[in-house]
Amino acid sequence: MESTLNATFEVLSFGAVFVLVVLGLGIVAGMMGIFNFAHGDFVLLGAYTTYLVYSLGLPVWLGMLAAPLVVAAIGFVLERLVIRRFYVIPVIAMVATYALGLIIREGVRGLIGGLYLSVPEPIVGSFTVAGAHFSRWRLAIIVIAVTVTITGYFLLTRTSFGLRVRAALDNPSLARASGISTSALYAATFTVGAGLAGLAGALVVPLFSLFADLGIHFLILGFLAILIGGIGTFQGSIAGAATVGALSAALPWAVAPVLADALVFVIAVVFIKFRPKGLIA
Amino acid sequence: MCDQIADGVIASRVSRRRFLHSAAWMSGAVATGAGSWVLQPPWANAAATPIKVGIATDLTGAIAYAGNANANAARMVVKDINDAGGILGRSIALFFADTASNESIAVSNVRRLIQRDKVDLVLGGITSSMRNAIKDVIVTRGKTLYIYPEQYEGKECTPYLFCTGPTLSQQCDRFIPWLIKNGGRRFALPAANYVFPRAVNEHTRKLIENNGGEVILEEYYPVGQIEYGATVSRIMTNNVEVVLNTIIPPGAGPFLKQLHEAGFGRRGGRLACLYYDEASLNINEPQEIEGMANCLDYFRAVTSEDPASARIQAEYDREFPGRILFAAGTGATGMYRGLKLWELAVKEAGNLDREHVAAALDHAKISEGPGGPAEMVPGKRHCKMNMYTAVAKNGNFEIVARSEGLVDPMAC
Repeated sequence: MESTLNATFEVLSFGAVFVLVVLGLGIVAGMMGIFNFAHGDFVLLGAYTTYLVYSLGLPVWLGMLAAPLVVAAIGFVLERLVIRRFYVIPVIAMVATYALGLIIREGVRGLIGGLYLSVPEPIVGSFTVAGAHFSRWRLAIIVIAVTVTITGYFLLTRTSFGLRVRAALDNPSLARASGISTSALYAATFTVGAGLAGLAGALVVPLFSLFADLGIHFLILGFLAILIGGIGTFQGSIAGAATVGALSAALPWAVAPVLADALVFVIAVVFIKFRPKGLIA
Repeated sequence: MCDQIADGVIASRVSRRRFLHSAAWMSGAVATGAGSWVLQPPWANAAATPIKVGIATDLTGAIAYAGNANANAARMVVKDINDAGGILGRSIALFFADTASNESIAVSNVRRLIQRDKVDLVLGGITSSMRNAIKDVIVTRGKTLYIYPEQYEGKECTPYLFCTGPTLSQQCDRFIPWLIKNGGRRFALPAANYVFPRAVNEHTRKLIENNGGEVILEEYYPVGQIEYGATVSRIMTNNVEVVLNTIIPPGAGPFLKQLHEAGFGRRGGRLACLYYDEASLNINEPQEIEGMANCLDYFRAVTSEDPASARIQAEYDREFPGRILFAAGTGATGMYRGLKLWELAVKEAGNLDREHVAAALDHAKISEGPGGPAEMVPGKRHCKMNMYTAVAKNGNFEIVARSEGLVDPMAC
């Protein structure tokens, strides 16, 4: 019973972490057709911003509020300066985002001296249910992930902004002909994607500590999540992220941990082979 | 300025010819020098032909914090030697090669140290895989002496390769009985999946079983794994009393945090980790690693009982203030020891011939160093040294036990 409760909570919390990380990646890939290789490093920037605010003696939660705004601002600048020049050649856009990510990562590595730095949770401690201990902060992450997901869903499906974004996704030429500025929409989408990455980084840094390769760990599995979920839909990204996150957390309970990572990829590849358009096409 | 641009007359501070000229120089410099550079002694007694010492360590990459601590320790010792008049009337020039936490880059950069710079000695390498990658370039093909300063598993017996960090035997043979006495008999051995943790677990499993303990769990994880819910649950439900961790960063921080949150510390569990030192204390919040024990050749707390250690630590802190710490787990203490032992060996040999220096180094002794005196074990190319057991309390290590005299490395 205790073990089952623990396993369920761990799977849920890691799935929530993954949803937060993949959300921004999925939105940018789905709406703009760009695989943003700098996304992991936007996550890192969010984590670093939180650490920076905390190291100045300010509360951690203030850093967590600042992180999505700071990273969104950086994302906006990068979109205007670099990304928008490559919308017509997505392969070059991938290389450009990879280069941007590398610059961010090595910059942060230099700033933190290559160290692994702890950032405390704003909500510390654990609570006990039926003899099993659960982290309060992980529970908070689950709640935040659900809130962000629902907000994002309503933003895209129930607002005029969402309608224009979906219009630009379905048929960019027609959207432009109808007076919708796809350039402004793309800038806004990329900014929101970067902001979500910043939020994810801020929320997960107390769990995993701050280190320069923090974002890289999520990037490849993040792309896998998008492929499993199905490119181009908000729901697809969420479903893919939840699936990959839950699989990553659940497999070590069933098989030798050293095999679990590889098994996630094997299962994903087999799944994509039989359902190439993903869970929600 | 705007008028000039409008007229097409851009200010000629950077002409095309000058740009090409500069670019050519830059390309040449990068092509011949990238990855290694020289630090010449600027002080007065620097001789015309200095002795060349190569430092091959991870100045960049995932374990750069340890590599830079090694580099700083080398700078400090070499400055001291040069200030005292050098060796054999010659100053020492340090040549740095970045091993970049990447074996293929390392081999190329170390080859440059040997073939271009023609150094008389190489010190460095942090991981065992790095040592294995560069030792052939240095010792076999390079015909150069090599000193490896890091703590490690203790099975390196290559001629002309001297090890000045503690071996597993030095770390564990007294530490495991201490853990059984001060923690319990039921052990978990969670480990990253590479050579050092596997060697640790092979060695410690025998010690645990010979001392009446039992290994409840021995698991290996990919080096980058950062989620340990399943492992923590197994540790808790199987009533493990001692967790001897060899999961390395980035996994170590999340693992220890999850273990703390699951209540391992609250129920009296004992944490132990063979590489944790002062440089690792930042990875977790202090309460998450309260009571973590380790056995190393040096902790900062030793400075309160050993004046020589206090002097060395103070000198390092004065010369290199900041986040790169002088800590045993980084290999910085082995670097200090290695350079000092080599200094004595060269003085005894009277020249830099590899055979002569190696013969003298084989029995070299220093009376002062970080953690106390040290001496090479003749014929073994490994170093005897004091060992200290320390426990983390409120974010610092406190010494709780010490060896009676120098501990034999039991290697080769």
